[in-house]
Amino acid sequence: MSASFKPQMIPEQLSMSPYERFFAKTDAWRWLYNSLLISIILTVTNVFFASLAGYAFAKLKFPGSQAVFWVLLGTMMIPAQVTLIPLYILMVNVFDLGDTYTAIILPAAVSVGNIFLMKQFMSTLPTSLIHAARIDACSEFGIFWKVILPMAKPGIAVLAIFTFVASWNEFFWPFLITNSNEMRTVQVGLASFVFAESTDFGAMMAGATIGALPMIILFFSLQRYFLQGITIGAVKG
Amino acid sequence: MARVEFRQVRKEFKDDHKGTFTAVAGSDFVIEDKEFVVFVGPSGCGKTTSLRMIAGLEKQTSGDIVIGDRIVNDLHPKDRDIAMVFQDYALYPHMTIRENLSFGLKNLKKPKAYIDEQVQNAASILGLEAMLERKPRELSGGQRQRVAVGRAIVRDPQVFLFDEPLSNLDAKLRVQMRVELGELHKRLGATIVYVTHDQVEAMTLGERIVVMNHGDIQQVASPKELYASPRNMFVAGFIGSPAMNFIDAHIEGTQVKVEGTSFTLPADVLERLNSYQGKRVILGLRPEHIFGDDVAPNVPQDHMLQARVQVVEHLGSENLLYFRLGSRTVTAKVHPETHAYVGMDKTFVLDMRKAHFFDPETEMAIGQE
Repeated sequence: MSASFKPQMIPEQLSMSPYERFFAKTDAWRWLYNSLLISIILTVTNVFFASLAGYAFAKLKFPGSQAVFWVLLGTMMIPAQVTLIPLYILMVNVFDLGDTYTAIILPAAVSVGNIFLMKQFMSTLPTSLIHAARIDACSEFGIFWKVILPMAKPGIAVLAIFTFVASWNEFFWPFLITNSNEMRTVQVGLASFVFAESTDFGAMMAGATIGALPMIILFFSLQRYFLQGITIGAVKG
Repeated sequence: MARVEFRQVRKEFKDDHKGTFTAVAGSDFVIEDKEFVVFVGPSGCGKTTSLRMIAGLEKQTSGDIVIGDRIVNDLHPKDRDIAMVFQDYALYPHMTIRENLSFGLKNLKKPKAYIDEQVQNAASILGLEAMLERKPRELSGGQRQRVAVGRAIVRDPQVFLFDEPLSNLDAKLRVQMRVELGELHKRLGATIVYVTHDQVEAMTLGERIVVMNHGDIQQVASPKELYASPRNMFVAGFIGSPAMNFIDAHIEGTQVKVEGTSFTLPADVLERLNSYQGKRVILGLRPEHIFGDDVAPNVPQDHMLQARVQVVEHLGSENLLYFRLGSRTVTAKVHPETHAYVGMDKTFVLDMRKAHFFDPETEMAIGQE
């Protein structure tokens, strides 16, 4: 079948049948649900933990903060592929979490890149506000929650969008850690259209289009945050 | 309200690259109850660090800080019963003015009725009633400054701390706010510790002034005393504008010799200079105590010298004349009707009754303790 496939630049007739096949023959809705759920959870965890850590590195004095920060940054130089197998062994053999949401989410709950982004953003917030809040009898977590987070909204928006997009598009780790059809994300699901001897390009492309649509909508509706995200920390405001 | 006391307070900062830096070198002083004390000095003199140590935002390396009758060394800022107004106002930008004012009291879990009353009271004192529902960004610099003060007032603290609160305002507004702060002190009857690098603010607001330099307290005195009897050359040069002139001089017999001219010194001054017979001293004379010979009201005309005028600055209410005396440039603040132009050989009258003398080695004032 693959040998007989002749790609055409302009189709002879318009057909929606690949879309029908994509939804009818697979668990497409389940995959979309999985992708959405995982992306939302990862966005929330990344925003929370990266903001906390970023705030600590930017504004709090504690012994060894510089050293810890540089070690964290150093880990960014380790290629993700290197840690993949140990991570798999840890998740499946040690924690027995194979084929679960937890296994997909846990390793990406917060990334060093996001901590770095938030640290850069938090550094631009005036320290006197933290002191004012401390004198205003605010607890340390209260300072973070009531004073810092509301001011960090632009940074958080950027972080949230970037994390959501990256999580939605993630392929390799979910592919590796999931076995069952119902645990797949939409990106992993698309790969199931590659059969041993053929590929259903029509349905696969239909799925890819569906999978890309939320990102396209997100990008155009939040364009200014994307652009802001590129310049955070690059230009002193 | 309460007194504040520093007992041998020392603060060092450790830096990986620059080593240890002493910001405050063993300070000892007492700020009395309801007193308005101003810390003044150049950048890096330790004045802000001292204030932040009272607030609890910095911990001293050694020594004790007392507020009221408690040693507060290990107390958190919120437990010290102080309120602070910051240089950049530090208003919470996402909160309305009302929320900004009530934030501290809410954190202290005060009853709502009490909070409302305090906010209303502070707003009426500072004329902020109409803007309680606005955000800080909708306010002008002067209004933000008032909110920052209001945030301190609602707390009804034992001690108010001000960290250069007027330095971000323009000159006109600064004068207006300065007057308002002075009135506020009278109205609240509060103990106020105020930090500034502006000596005019220090002289006009402070009941007593703490002059600091390189982490050391140079002198603690009333504005009048600082001006009239500075303890050393730093204080003499720092207080007063334009700064005091320092002129190299020799004491010989009853005379002080300055660049080929000599003056007979008044008897009381001579007595102070007894141990400096035949030695070098630094003569300190404020610009306002040097007059042109044509307009020198009520000044004995027996201490005169001639010099060539190098620069004339017309300020309207007075003129500044600059002339050379040996290696030093001397400034005279003279009456605007004094006749002078650049290059003119002018006779100046020095009011030696107001002269100060300093030891050239120790830079300490001679004859003062």
